Amino acid sequence: MRRFELVTPGSVDDCLSALKGRGVEVKVLAGGTDLIAQLKVGMLKVAAVVDLSGVAELRVLEGDARRGFRIGAAVTARTLERDAKLRAALPSLSESGALVGSIQIRNLATLGGNICNAAPSADMAPPLLALDAEAVIAGAGGRRRVPMASFFKGVRQTVLGPDELLVEFAVPATGPKSGGAYLRHTPRRELDIAVVGVASQVSLADGVCTKVRIALAAVAPVPVRATAAEQALEGQPLTSQAIARAADLAVEAARPISDQRGSAEFRRHLVRILTRRTLTIALERATA
Amino acid sequence: MTDAVATRDALRIVGQPVVRHDARDKVVAATAYAADWALPGMLHAAVLRSPYPSARIVRLETKRATAMAGVAVVLTAKDVPRNTLATDVPGQTTAVGPLRATLHVLAEDRVRHQGEPVALVAAETLELARDAVEAIEVEYEVTPGVFTPEAALAPGAPPVHGTGNLLAQWRIARGDVAKALAGANVVVEGEYTTQLVDAAYLEPESGVAWIDSDGVITIRLSTQVIEHFRDVAEVLQVPQNRVRVIGTYLGGGFGGKEDVTVEAYLGLLTLKTGRPVKMVWTRQESLLSRAKRHPYRLRYRTGANAHGEIVAQQIELLADAGAYAYLSALVLLYSTVTAAGPYRVPAVEVDARVAYTNNPPTSAMRGFGAMQTVFAYESQLDRVARALGMDPVAVRRVNALRRGDTLPVGQVIETHVAIPELCERAWAALGPPTAARAPHIKVGRGLACNFQPYGRIVWLHDWASAWVGFEMDGSLVIRCGCPDVGGGQASSLCQIAAEVLGVTLTRISVHVSDSALTPLAGTTTASRQLYMSGNAVLKTARELRAGLLGVAAAMLGGDADDLDMDEDRVVTRDGRTLAIAGLLAECARVGVPRSHLGVYHAPAGEPVDLATGSGKVFPDYTFGAHAAEVEVDTETGLVRVLGYAAAHDVGRAINPQSVEGQIQGGAVQGLGYGLMEEVVVENGINLTTSFATYLIPTAADVPDVRAVVVESGEGLGPFNARGIGEPPIGPPAAAIANAIEAATGARITRLPITAERVARALGLLD
Repeated sequence: MRRFELVTPGSVDDCLSALKGRGVEVKVLAGGTDLIAQLKVGMLKVAAVVDLSGVAELRVLEGDARRGFRIGAAVTARTLERDAKLRAALPSLSESGALVGSIQIRNLATLGGNICNAAPSADMAPPLLALDAEAVIAGAGGRRRVPMASFFKGVRQTVLGPDELLVEFAVPATGPKSGGAYLRHTPRRELDIAVVGVASQVSLADGVCTKVRIALAAVAPVPVRATAAEQALEGQPLTSQAIARAADLAVEAARPISDQRGSAEFRRHLVRILTRRTLTIALERATA
Repeated sequence: MTDAVATRDALRIVGQPVVRHDARDKVVAATAYAADWALPGMLHAAVLRSPYPSARIVRLETKRATAMAGVAVVLTAKDVPRNTLATDVPGQTTAVGPLRATLHVLAEDRVRHQGEPVALVAAETLELARDAVEAIEVEYEVTPGVFTPEAALAPGAPPVHGTGNLLAQWRIARGDVAKALAGANVVVEGEYTTQLVDAAYLEPESGVAWIDSDGVITIRLSTQVIEHFRDVAEVLQVPQNRVRVIGTYLGGGFGGKEDVTVEAYLGLLTLKTGRPVKMVWTRQESLLSRAKRHPYRLRYRTGANAHGEIVAQQIELLADAGAYAYLSALVLLYSTVTAAGPYRVPAVEVDARVAYTNNPPTSAMRGFGAMQTVFAYESQLDRVARALGMDPVAVRRVNALRRGDTLPVGQVIETHVAIPELCERAWAALGPPTAARAPHIKVGRGLACNFQPYGRIVWLHDWASAWVGFEMDGSLVIRCGCPDVGGGQASSLCQIAAEVLGVTLTRISVHVSDSALTPLAGTTTASRQLYMSGNAVLKTARELRAGLLGVAAAMLGGDADDLDMDEDRVVTRDGRTLAIAGLLAECARVGVPRSHLGVYHAPAGEPVDLATGSGKVFPDYTFGAHAAEVEVDTETGLVRVLGYAAAHDVGRAINPQSVEGQIQGGAVQGLGYGLMEEVVVENGINLTTSFATYLIPTAADVPDVRAVVVESGEGLGPFNARGIGEPPIGPPAAAIANAIEAATGARITRLPITAERVARALGLLD
């Protein structure tokens, strides 16, 4: 790894000042589990790194199922995994946190880092999409909110401008009869990257599905929603036949590539299986 | 032989699970591994490697790099005194004839694989060295390459070297295979594919070199073979006694540190600069450029009679050597000899070939060619059993080799073969069956056996030497050139000497792996070190004991044969004792040496003509049986190992804890081979140069491996031990494949057994 200047701001405003006008030569360090690895192998070369560990605001975690949640960009994967309130209210997000890396990595890796790294396989992205979350972004002109569904622009590309900082996520209230789940396929039990990841969120009223969100990872340049599958379920009772049909429809949203982790054909197959499984678990949780 | 130790019923220290002297330092991170070393004024080195798998070097310009501030030297092929490195049989002093293999230290006019070293830099800092590597200008002209052995052997294929692409071929023909197959009740045909894998040790290749005050080029590095000092001397064109190699405790070797790694580069750089130089390969470099395990295609036709007895095996093997020969011809020899498995097979034909390609080179790796064959012969045997409705243990019991049987190559098995007992014990060790936890989960069990040679091919005339001596206070010193790769090699030598000389273990210091100061003991490869260095220390300690007890007998009166050494004393049969310090003082007075240098020569033999099956190839073999219980997700194809038991006859466990460690580690490494590890190479380009893409099992992926240690009391090592370094890596892939078929009916014939391959075999994909 080459030498770089380390900037240690104490507030979001200090961060913005440190970023201002420096473009790609400066990078933000949250947990560092992606950034440091990229610097070490020379994938990235930077003049300066802005360390967020001194910015308390970025670690906010508050809310409940009724009001929704504010989750700071620097909240760690381990916190998502362990926080009892979050685990009960937003199980899919908690599960995605629990699947990232190993315990050592989860103690460092952050929600904001996972999202800003913008890998197609990012585990925390599908739950945020399925929860209709918004990213709160700070910039010179104040703060703006971007729905997660439009946050990603391409592989390792987001809507974040060079002078902007992702501050937190706003997760709306899920309602009383709602449930979610995240599952992924990996060859290893941990320390691995999703071959396919699927998050589902289901809301029920009077025995029918009032709202459903299905989001997929690692099957397109960016995390995507399976909208045709969602539409087929909304307003319907969630029978196993309806879920199976939705799982078939979800496959159409996938545009996977073939690489050493799996062929496009296998990835499409996994989308079907994991969509069915996450919908089934989400339904159980919504009715529990 | 009338030796009190050999005939004593109760051993005192051998056989005890003693805590190894090197354990604590490793746990608290106090061991000074090769990369932990530093010297004043030390330079840091980096390697420029070829980005192409097949290219001509049109222009190589180092001026800009050389001129950079802080750069001490930039070296290319023309700066190397002798740019040819022999890579045939590391550490061997016997000529190997047609197996002679060489490569260039630095590429000359051509590069033949991605990652091939082209130039070296030494600079004041690692960062500067890497900058300088980037400043070297190379113009390549990409040339057509060959990327599979099939393509390499096709007519008109571009030659990787000046010769044809067929590197080596071995054949065995025994009995009338065609006739036996025609008369068989069952004939099973199978084609199996094994993959390229990496040793993936914790510790990448690393070392530090300096010129000692007496002008000796000294290289302290992570190596399995300190005898490479001779190869470095050849490259530097200095006398062999002017190069010293100090081997460190290793963070894993697995064959990957059997060939020369950093030592020739370090020798060159320190010679040219006169300064200490450090070279540590990154994980990416290691994964990119180090020699790996050969991928094989194995075709088998296996015939059996109605009792499940194999009557014939017709076997065709094709291996990928990558761009350089290294040890490929020998690896293929191991495959050829073991191809029919540890079974009585009256008719066997083997046709084995290995070809050059422009893929990463392949060479030694734990199992050394006797591993790929296990996947094929154990899959075949299970299919025979299935066709006949036999259970996995029964089919192996009826076919297992017995003492006195002759292998297809003509070698008579001279020691006990424990295969039936190992099968039964491994199978039983799995315990009660696990119930499937969901409707889409299927659970099944599989069994696989293997046999692995230990010790070198008999016509290589292997030997090892050791020095054992008492200090005046009765503490003991062992010097032995045996590298300790983490298996407890050094500690076992202490136990052996302690047993013979009656010295408390904590009063022994052992010095290993120094080509100048420890008597040479050969390589820590081929599961040979306990066998060879262990026998050398045993023989040396016994000879020393005989001299000492002669003096003791004179002091105590009576016959030396009636004396024993125990708890740092000499003991008579009637209970009188003599303190060791007193004996040593008397030895000094009467001029009897308190130390001894001994040499152990392994039983040697003449080269064997494989085709005619003329005789002995290896000193002996270690036998094993592994049993696995797996669950298969029949919707995704994902396989999880629920239970695993690994049984080996080790003859005698010198340190049962170390033996269990070898068995567990080998089984886990074998599970990685079976389930996930693969160096993915596309048209010669390695796509898996990090641990994010080259997957090895973590602790979460493997169950507790139940090690079943069987001690038949028969083996050629000290106290009748057999080698156990390599054997446990052999069976896991086949045991898993057999368990998957038992669970689902699907037969997997390609490694690694990924979820996608299982899904395809289950018909889940189009």
